[in-house]
Amino acid sequence: MDISFALTGKGYVIVAADTTAARSIVKMKTDEDKIKVLSPHLLMAFSGEPGDTLQFAEYVERNIRLYQIRNTYALRPPSAASWIRRSLADSLRSRRPYAVNLLIGGYDTSTSTPHLYWVDYLGTLSPVPFGAHGYGSYFGLSLLDRYHDPEATLEEGLDTLRRCIDEVSKRLVVSPGKYKVKIVDKDGVREIEL
Amino acid sequence: MSIMEYNGGSVIAMVGKDCVAIASDLRLGNQALGIASDFEKIFPMTDRVYLGLPGLATDVTTLREQFRYRLNMYTIKEEREIEPETFAHLVSSTLYERRFGPYFIEPVMAGLQRLPNGGYKPFIAATDLIGCINFAKDFVVAGTASSKLFGVAEGLWEPDLEPEDLFETIAQTLLNAVDRDAYSGWGAVVHVITKDKAIKRVLKGRMD
Amino acid sequence: MASAEGGAYSYSLTVFSPSGKLVQIEHALAAVSQGTTSLGIKATNGIVIATEKKSSSILIDDSMIEKVAVICPNIGIVYSGMGPDFRILVAKARKSAQAYWKIYNEYPPTKVLTQEIATIMQQATHSGGVRPYGVSLLVAGWDINRGPSLYQVDPSGSYWAWKASAIGKNMVNAKTFLEKRYNDDISLEDAIHTALLTLKEGFEGQMTEKTIEIGVITVPSEADLEAGKIEGTGRAKAAFRKLTEEEVRDYLAM
Repeated sequence: MDISFALTGKGYVIVAADTTAARSIVKMKTDEDKIKVLSPHLLMAFSGEPGDTLQFAEYVERNIRLYQIRNTYALRPPSAASWIRRSLADSLRSRRPYAVNLLIGGYDTSTSTPHLYWVDYLGTLSPVPFGAHGYGSYFGLSLLDRYHDPEATLEEGLDTLRRCIDEVSKRLVVSPGKYKVKIVDKDGVREIEL
Repeated sequence: MSIMEYNGGSVIAMVGKDCVAIASDLRLGNQALGIASDFEKIFPMTDRVYLGLPGLATDVTTLREQFRYRLNMYTIKEEREIEPETFAHLVSSTLYERRFGPYFIEPVMAGLQRLPNGGYKPFIAATDLIGCINFAKDFVVAGTASSKLFGVAEGLWEPDLEPEDLFETIAQTLLNAVDRDAYSGWGAVVHVITKDKAIKRVLKGRMD
Repeated sequence: MASAEGGAYSYSLTVFSPSGKLVQIEHALAAVSQGTTSLGIKATNGIVIATEKKSSSILIDDSMIEKVAVICPNIGIVYSGMGPDFRILVAKARKSAQAYWKIYNEYPPTKVLTQEIATIMQQATHSGGVRPYGVSLLVAGWDINRGPSLYQVDPSGSYWAWKASAIGKNMVNAKTFLEKRYNDDISLEDAIHTALLTLKEGFEGQMTEKTIEIGVITVPSEADLEAGKIEGTGRAKAAFRKLTEEEVRDYLAM
């Protein structure tokens, strides 16, 4: 099962997700990118039912892009999150719902604030200072409760993320080996090696 | 596992003397796992009508948006704000529209009803998830801690409480009831509505 | 091509003529002004709407003819123009009032119901395969927010609020008459008499309880509003009612 973490800090959001693509007990791939770049200042980590995840992520990606083309500017994080939530909530009561959980991290360039949203496949949305999906949440959230600081520098934020990932590696039976980490701040989106 | 208990959360409303109060916890959970401690479930519909939406969190947001839409349309069309009693029926008919595929929410309403003589009458009501209205004279409860809320409210509530006393009563009722419920708690919010102002207070609670 | 009857632009579709007119709507208004006179007067404590009820033959059972219609307990309407078109509008208006009741557990305010009817009539000027409604309406109603109000709706779908108005045959004369007679503190009783007097102006034949129809809005007192709630029905007393033949006869005799 996929593991994803995200946390905010002073002027940035870090989003991390494991890179394993598994089928049953077999690892098929270990360099899968589970974090979509939706717009210059918006990231989305997705996990859940294989197939649904990429299908839904691409659907969101194209629609966010379409908005940007039509209006010449991108949706701000709260509006984008609200639109994505509505898509999932509508899908939930359709014939075949998407089973996709999300962490949406963005940087609002007009108010210069980082935003992070925890969204599940039911369409539950909550703005959070940090969030997690999958088995990682049972290990990571308590560490984040203890070590998260909204005023932390990027390096301190990454240290906190490392703590979470290390704890999962140490305690989870089926822990993934590699993670992809992306950051969004005033300069846009970038990927880093942990 | 019940869908109604998936995210947790509770709401209570009480009648006082020329005032009403409505309060809820702030927890958002994923079954036993806590996700957020600032998830509000009570929303002002007008200056005098408040709506609490305990139940499945996705439907809290969906219904909040639905009622915002319907109320905006009402206000524009009728050139006036909705009265609590009328709003209660709007809530009821909105939920009953989904009779065979309901929103998993049991709304609680509190407000002050304008009278023909220009005065105001306290109004509270709650409905089940398909819109069956319960008009109560004293208090209404809903959510995962509803059974506990009933017990504590039954003991603490008395008629004709002044706004400050009503605040104390509803706050203590909620705080103590949610401490006995694993799915509710993590802080609380209380709204006290009187004819000339509405006060909101955010309370700290046990974080376990 | 451009004849007196509208010529090239007289299709069943409502289309603009080069001069910017919608000739179909003008034809509809012509149909209205051929209809029997109706009028409404707003008083301090109520509203009266009245109309002349004419049958083409003495053999017609006129007890069947209904020109003043109850839409819901607080709203009534009267028309001038084409009877069948009115019937359809009454059915639609009643349905709309009940739909509103089903959502809010109360009947629509007069303005909302009037807008609803006006929208239906406007749509007929804007849709393919239909003609505009051949009626003008007077809508009389009472609601807690605006009190008593009187509206007129025309085939184009436009509507206005009036203190007093007349539609149909003789409407110009009737309006002039009303302008002379109307004052802002007229009582409902006086308004009913003024209504009858106005109708009498252009009346052909005998004015009797069989040839006159009257509907009134009575503004409920605070006690009336309370009483309705207590009864357990949760319903306030109907503000609109049609006068019985006996009542009409008594007013005519006075």
